[in-house]
Parts: sequence; C-alpha cells; structure tokens
Amino acid sequence: MSRYRLRVNGKRRTVDVPADTPLLWALREELGLTGPRYGCGVGACGACVSLIGGEAGRPCVVTVSESDKTDITTIEGLQDHPVQQAWLELDVAQCGYCQPGQIMTTVALLARHHDPTDAQIDEALRDNVCRCGTYPRIRAAVHRAAALARGRK
Amino acid sequence: MITRRRLLGATGALVVAAPLVRSQLGYADELTPSVHVRIDGRGRIIATVPKPDTGQGVRTMAAILIAEELAVEVADVTLEQAPGDTARFGPQTIQNSTSSRQLAQPLRTAAATARCLLVTAAANRWGVPPGECAARAGRVEHPGHRALPYRALVADAAKLDPATVAVTLIPPEKWRLIGRTRAGRSDARDIVTGRAKYGAESAPPGALIAVVARPKWIGAQVDTVDDAAALAVPGVVAVVRLVAPAGGQGGVAVVARSTAAALQGRAALTVTWTGGTPAADSRTWIADLEAALPPVTGKPDIQRIFRLPLLAHAAMEPMNATAHVTDTGVTVWAPTQDPGGLRTILSRQLALPESQITVHPTLAGGGFGRRIEPDPVFEALTCSRAVGAPVSVRWTRDDDTRHDSYRPMSVHRLGATLDASGLPVSRFHQVATWPLTVVPIFNNPMLVKASGDHFPYSVPGDVSVTLRLAPLRTGFWRAVYAGQFGYAEECFLSEIARRGGHDQVTARRTLLPADSRLRRVLDTASDHHGYADGAACHLDYGSAIAVLVTADPVARKVIRVTAAVDVGVPVHPSGVIAQVEGGVLDAVSTVLGAQITVREGAVVQSSFRDYAWARIGDCPEITVIVVPSDAPIGGLGELAYPPAAAAIASALAAGGDPVSGMPYGIGVG
Ligand code: FES
Ligand code: FES
Repeated sequence: MSRYRLRVNGKRRTVDVPADTPLLWALREELGLTGPRYGCGVGACGACVSLIGGEAGRPCVVTVSESDKTDITTIEGLQDHPVQQAWLELDVAQCGYCQPGQIMTTVALLARHHDPTDAQIDEALRDNVCRCGTYPRIRAAVHRAAALARGRK
Repeated sequence: MITRRRLLGATGALVVAAPLVRSQLGYADELTPSVHVRIDGRGRIIATVPKPDTGQGVRTMAAILIAEELAVEVADVTLEQAPGDTARFGPQTIQNSTSSRQLAQPLRTAAATARCLLVTAAANRWGVPPGECAARAGRVEHPGHRALPYRALVADAAKLDPATVAVTLIPPEKWRLIGRTRAGRSDARDIVTGRAKYGAESAPPGALIAVVARPKWIGAQVDTVDDAAALAVPGVVAVVRLVAPAGGQGGVAVVARSTAAALQGRAALTVTWTGGTPAADSRTWIADLEAALPPVTGKPDIQRIFRLPLLAHAAMEPMNATAHVTDTGVTVWAPTQDPGGLRTILSRQLALPESQITVHPTLAGGGFGRRIEPDPVFEALTCSRAVGAPVSVRWTRDDDTRHDSYRPMSVHRLGATLDASGLPVSRFHQVATWPLTVVPIFNNPMLVKASGDHFPYSVPGDVSVTLRLAPLRTGFWRAVYAGQFGYAEECFLSEIARRGGHDQVTARRTLLPADSRLRRVLDTASDHHGYADGAACHLDYGSAIAVLVTADPVARKVIRVTAAVDVGVPVHPSGVIAQVEGGVLDAVSTVLGAQITVREGAVVQSSFRDYAWARIGDCPEITVIVVPSDAPIGGLGELAYPPAAAAIASALAAGGDPVSGMPYGIGVG
C-alpha cells in the first residue's frame, strides 16, 4: 500500500492502495465516484472513460501510480455541460450504462474539434460500445452539443 | 479444503439500510388508491413502478400514464421502484415485451381513482356536483370557486370510500401526454450526471466484493482448490466454493474488501476442474443440428439451408448481485428482470416465507432476457452466508461473455413451390435447434414453434421443429425463437422474390391481406424509403412492423433503414422510437459479424473486442415512423429485431450470394 495524490474534479484527493490498482477502482471504491462505469476492465468498451490529463482516458487500464498528480475529471466533475444538455434534449439514453463514457469522450472531442464531422465523431467514439443501440442519437447529440457550445441555441 | 478467514470484526461495522416498509392502508394525510400510486400531504405524487427498468423505459411509461390521469406534467411524478412482491404488484417480469400491455390499465386506473377522489373531495367542499369540477395542472377547478391544489384535498379525499366514487379514465381524444409527450426518459438527468444507480452502486455500504473463478470449460466442476496464495492477498477475506445449481453456475468465489483485491485473489487461485465437455466445438454442434433435419418429401421448386450462431446477451452492465443473509431473513439488491419471481424462487430454495425475503430491483444496464435468471443472486447468497456479511458478486466482462445463457444455434431448411410468376404458393420450414435450458418447459417443440413461428404472409406452410439436447446453457435472447425463424423466412422470401424478378415490397404486398396492419406499415415505410433491396415484416406482441433497408454490399455497410411501426398506443413516443433503433442496431451487429463460437470446450470471445458488436461508425441512418392506429397497446421491446436482421441481410445479399446464415457471408460456428 502506498499513498497517491490525485487531482480529481478540481480537488486534491489521496488514496491508499497498491501501486498497480486500476484507477477505475480507486475512483469508484476509494473516492465514491461511481459515474465511470465498469464495462470490461480491458479498455475495450468505453464505459469508464474520464478525462485524464485533459484527454479521454480509460481508468480501467491506467494504474493509480500512473495517475499520480494528474488532473482527472469524471462525469461528476461536469456542471450542466453542453454535452449533458444535448444528451437530455435528444433523449439519448436507453439503459444509460454506457452514457457517462460516451459523454466524457464527446467532451474531449469537442475540446479538439468545435464542429466535428460525422467521420470525426465515428472515429472518436469508435471504441465506446452502446449495447442498447443509441448511436443515431449520440451522433445527433454530439452535433447539437457542438452547436450549444458555440453559443447557438 | 477451502479455508475461510475470519472477518476480523468487519461485520460489526457494517451498516445495512433497513428495507423500506410502508403501510398499505395509507396515512390519514395520504391518499393511497392502490399500490401503484399515492399522494402525500404535500401533494407530491409518488408512483411505485412494479417492473424494473432495463432500459426499455417502463419507469418513464409509468410516469406518463400517471401524469396523464392525474392532470399533471410527467416531471411532477416521483418514481419509486417496487420491491419484489407479486402478491401486491402483480407480474413483475420483464419478458415477452409485456411491460406496457400489462401495466397501462392498472396504472391508469390507480391514478384516475386518485383524480376522481380529489375531484369529489373538492366538489363536496364546495357543495357542487363533481361533474362540474375538473382537475387541471395539479388542482381541482370549478367556475364558481377558487381552484384548490391537490395537497389541500388529500386528507378529505383519503376519507372517501373509493367504492362510492365513479372512476372514469381520460378518453384518448383528450390525452395530453400519452402518445404525445415530448418528454425524455425519466431517469435521464441521473444518467447524464453519473448518479444513476445500477447493481454495483446499489450495494449497501460495507458490502464485500466477490469475483468468481468460473468453469474452465462447459460443464466443468471444481475438482481441487489451492487458495493459499489467494488468501495471502491483502484485502481478501475468504474463498468460498460454489456448487451448481444452488451456487449459481458453480466455481470458486474470492471475497474481498475491494474489487481490485478480489480480482487479484482470483488470479492467485489454483483450481483444477473435472467433468463437463472439454472437447466441445460449436462447428460440430451446427453440423449435428443440420444432420437432425428431417428428410424432404415432395419436390420444392426452391430450397435453402440457413445456419444461425450462438449469441451472447452482453448487456453493458455485466451480471452482478448483492445479498445479505441474516438470522431474520435475506435481502437482495440486483439488476433483475424479475424481482417478484426471484423472491418466489428464493423462498422455495431457502425454505423461508416470502415475508423474510426482500428483493430490491436496481436500474439495469440492459437485460435483453439474461436478467430473468437468478444465478448471480445464488452466488451472492452463498458468499454472504459463508462470510456473514453482505456480499456483492461482480462478473467481469470475460465472465459475462463466456458464461452466458446463449441464444441457441439453429439450422433451418426452407422450401417452396412457386406459381408461374415465381411467387410462393406453398412452403415448408424445418427447424433443428435446442431448447432453452434456463426454462425447462421449453423442452417442447410445440412451445418453440409457438415462440418462433409468426409467418405473416398468406402462403400455407408446414413448419416442423426438431429439438436436440442443448450442449450448453441457453436462454431468452431478445425476440427468442422469432429472431431465428423470422430471419430465415424473410431471407428466403427475399431470395424467391429476387429470383422471380419481383420488387421486395411489391412481392410482400401481394402476399399480405389488403387491409391488414402489416400492409399499412409496409406501405408507409415504402412511401418514405423508396426502392429497397431489403424488406421484412413482423407481427407479434400485438404490434406490427415493416423494415426497409438500403445497403452497400461491396463495403458490407448498412446505409439507410426505415421502420414503420404500429404499436397501437405509443405511450412514450421517443421511447418507442428508441426501442426500434435498438432492435435495428442488434440486427446490424448480428448480421455483420457478432457471434459466439466454442473451441476446446470454452467460449472463444471474451469482450467487445472479439464479440463484434456494432460501433457508431456501423450505424446506418435510421428513420422510425410511428403509424397511428386504434389497436390496443402492443409490445415493442423485441419487435424490430427479427425483421431488421432479415432486411439487412437481404440488402447486403443484393447482387451477390443469397443469405444462408447469420452473420451474413461469414462461417457460422
Ligand atoms: S471498463 Fe474501461 S473500457 Fe471498458
Ligand atoms: S444506453 Fe444502454 S448501453 Fe448505451
């Protein structure tokens, strides 16, 4: 066991876990941030996606020691974000389990591309599985979120 | 020998929320016209949703029905989830697309009763006939009086005898919300903020976590266990042997204080296995099914064999369950599709009265038929009893993919005799498949036929089912056998039409009764879509759907899908469209490549990396048209999958090899 200093959702947090503990379990079980979901544990589904150092990262395949002193934003760190608004407007979710990961991936995408094309959306969200099949609405909601973020209503 | 480590005082520190017990008689300041709805002294409307939400939207539907009858907005209804209790809440199973059909009437009646009692209470206070009063926006109004909010009437209304008050439902022409609301899913805000609670988030504080070393090959049982290294992992509390069926599918559970420790403990176990079928291979199974088809009698003009693979449910939230066994009873928290049935099963298995068993259904991250089964709950119970604390059993994605109850493989031989124009005048359909092992009554060809055979066209047919022993666990998968039968039938019809030079839509129009629901949805879809290489229809669950598809066969890409659907009353329009979109994406996934295969006794696939589910880039442009009709509320959750799969495969086959299986153009098994 060692202590790691994490910066999560703008706050300093410490966790006391073995170095190789996946960040996902530290977030969920040590810090009570359960918005990042477990879907596969091997980086293949995207349910856990959070911002790690500003990029869309997969906490299930990043260890706590690798995340020491890194800025981490989980879905709990968003506040009425345009992406969340767009998701509500277009009633995207079915079961909702994949959606925190879809939303966080989109947040990272929109930081890079203010008006992404369908091809850029498909590429950014390629490894975010939605088993319920909400893809058509996700695609529409990414465009809507981009418009909201650019200030169009 | 399994040793169990003592819990070192952990149990004493556990805080377990007591199950909510609420008087059914209602309080003086509360109006409780039925178990489904109550209005408290502050005028808050609380709906108790009898069935769990797996993403199919039953909670939203309940809110809409109740808001409609109580003359409020959808957001004014607070939702609670009913615990497992069929005596109080009626059937609570999510299966066979029954949620809307079973719940609409009781929920509307409950809310309408509350409204009529409130109106009568106001009328009595004003001394006017109830017929002159109306409920609107959470208040009762009368032209000669100041409107009274519900909260001012609750106490009076609760004193009335419901039997003395005439209850009328709001007639369809006056609906504001049912079929009209633009509201989104009721839990949407919790979902997009990450606050929604699925199985893992619903476990009580202090619950221990267990992961299970599962049979290495199909049917294997634990022979020996060396758990010394596992027990040495910091945080591991106990190692518990699970024996099927009381212990789920069997295996060795590692119980720990954290998921990371449990996983590490599991990796440190040395388990040897015995029994089962270590050499099983799904290619042999499909050949065996094909050999089981009866011989063909007569001389059909055309015939074809279709081979269909194993499919896994692969719900996004892997299987899990939490249980706490105490001296006084059992509490379970689980994303189950059947909380009431689960309570009954547990009562029987544990020889406890149902009153000592509490089942809290949580939100479920998808179900698709898998969560009807109780195996993870049995695992959690066994672990909890062993360690004397609440235990939450978590399946990894690998566990979930490799230890599912799969959709059975099937082989279909179809044949037809054709008229001069090349359209079928008679047909046969031979099916060889397996029963559903999770429901023993399904070991009956007649039941399999009843589930699968919904051929809607006026072509007399002879459908026969041969069942072989299932070589692994099989279960309900969205649309069950209709997904297999319908796929083969519609793909075959597409091939016949194509060979005869017929347009896919026109051929089907010719074979459907003139004023049928299917003909209407087919025409509606066709008007929107225009020419389509893929077409299919499906009539089931009291609903009708037609799906048209345009694809790019060379790129193996589905371009455009139009579905026209008649579900009678589309209670929540956005939710209806979502269910159809979901069925289309299941179809894209399974036709393009998702299948489960077995080699050397074990399932090959282990995650979405190799169980090739569709990604956003595979998603076609989808248009769903909801066709109004006077039919009663129909089922929907499973309706779109069979015709969408057939229409997609047929569109991909345009100009190429006819469809002979699923996935299209890829070896099965
Ligand atoms: S849980 Fe992290 S990618 Fe699947
Ligand atoms: S909404 Fe259910 S997995 Fe995406």
